[in-house]
Amino acid sequence: MQDQILIEMKGVQKWYGRYQALRNVDLTVRRGEKIVLCGPSGSGKSTLIRCINRLEAIQQGSIAVNGHALDDSIKAIDVVRQDVGMVFQSFNLFPHLTVLQNCMLAPIRARRISKTEAEATARKYLERVRIGDQAEKYPAQLSGGQQQRVAIARALCMQPKVMLFDEPTSALDPEMVKEVLDTMIGLANDGMTMICVTHEMGFARQVADRIIFMADGQIIEEGAPDAFFRNPQHARTKQFLGEILAHH
Amino acid sequence: MAPHFGLAEFGFLLRGLQWTMLLTLVAFVGGCTAGLAVALLRTCGHKGVEWIVRVYIGIFQGTPLLLQLFVVYYGLALTGLKLDAFVAVAIGFTVNASAFLGEIWRGAIQAVPLGQTEAAMALGLHYSSRMRDIVLPQAIRISLPATIGYLVQLIKGTSLAAIVGFIELARAGQIVSNQTFQPLLVFGVVGAMYFVLCWPLSWWGSRMEARLALAGQR
Repeated sequence: MQDQILIEMKGVQKWYGRYQALRNVDLTVRRGEKIVLCGPSGSGKSTLIRCINRLEAIQQGSIAVNGHALDDSIKAIDVVRQDVGMVFQSFNLFPHLTVLQNCMLAPIRARRISKTEAEATARKYLERVRIGDQAEKYPAQLSGGQQQRVAIARALCMQPKVMLFDEPTSALDPEMVKEVLDTMIGLANDGMTMICVTHEMGFARQVADRIIFMADGQIIEEGAPDAFFRNPQHARTKQFLGEILAHH
Repeated sequence: MAPHFGLAEFGFLLRGLQWTMLLTLVAFVGGCTAGLAVALLRTCGHKGVEWIVRVYIGIFQGTPLLLQLFVVYYGLALTGLKLDAFVAVAIGFTVNASAFLGEIWRGAIQAVPLGQTEAAMALGLHYSSRMRDIVLPQAIRISLPATIGYLVQLIKGTSLAAIVGFIELARAGQIVSNQTFQPLLVFGVVGAMYFVLCWPLSWWGSRMEARLALAGQR
């Protein structure tokens, strides 16, 4: 089971008009793996994970999630999105719904489970991200860190096999970063397969099985955290790590 | 000796007011229904469909409402379809309202942040659920002040229906004024009736606008 491949990207190319955002990306993620994606802004990290749940279409190459090939058909996209949860930089909670309703909507509509079951699941995951007592509030009544933890719970309620994190702490005030990272670390310790786009190198060191460095739409280098930080191979990686670690 | 403005004349104006309200109601309900379809088609993502709807909106926003009423009432009559005046103006106002409300709601739908749609898609929600559960509830809130503003315009605009012989409030006022030779009094009463109808709506609309502006600051 440990070796089961959950995500497989082969030769993925993506353009925005004439601008090439992804160049020949190959990526294999096995069940239980925690991957941190880093690189300068505009390097294609976010684009890469957004292709996995088809928020972005690719022009060449192939993507398969949990053995299901992702193509343009609604059916294939549905199947993949059932397996993939996503957390956004700007939380994207639904402002007109309570925290509880945010977590119940998709399971009821997309998984077609009963209201009672959806509520039980929602309360369980809200409890797990330590926000169970705020279930009846609206997102605007919560702090940024709390909102992001709700967003994590909301994704978990769909019981995904993989979680994608797109710079989940970049929009947060510094004092709230830790509570979100702690939630993610908890998730990692429970064995969730994760791909995280983040600049939190402390988190990467602690949690990641592999760190992948991207620049100009390509994967430049990847490795286990120790080797990656201690002995980066490429000049661009060294430069990036120099810049980002100088502030820590 | 001409009759003075009395209870009978006031009753006649009230009946005119009733027709104004009924016409507004029909046009607004019909316009909302068709306008929702216009707004959804206008944002559906299919280039051809969006273009057709844009032409539709352009025609009804770009020509005088009076002309549109003429076309429905006299134009359709030429093709052998003789419509009752109320039915004709109701159709004319409904179609016109669908273009204006459709455009207001198109703007509101597009004003809902893209992240909302993306989050809904990432959660596996389909188009119908994304619209019904996520986008439209927020878009309607955003569009409420403009929608109420349009409703006020519509109430006053129904006076144009008089042109094809439909007796609504303004036309009723004209008739009573011609009978009594008391235009100032009669049109004063008519104006007061419009005001009583429109002013609370305008007030409600600007209150909504202020509340939305406040919510936007948070």
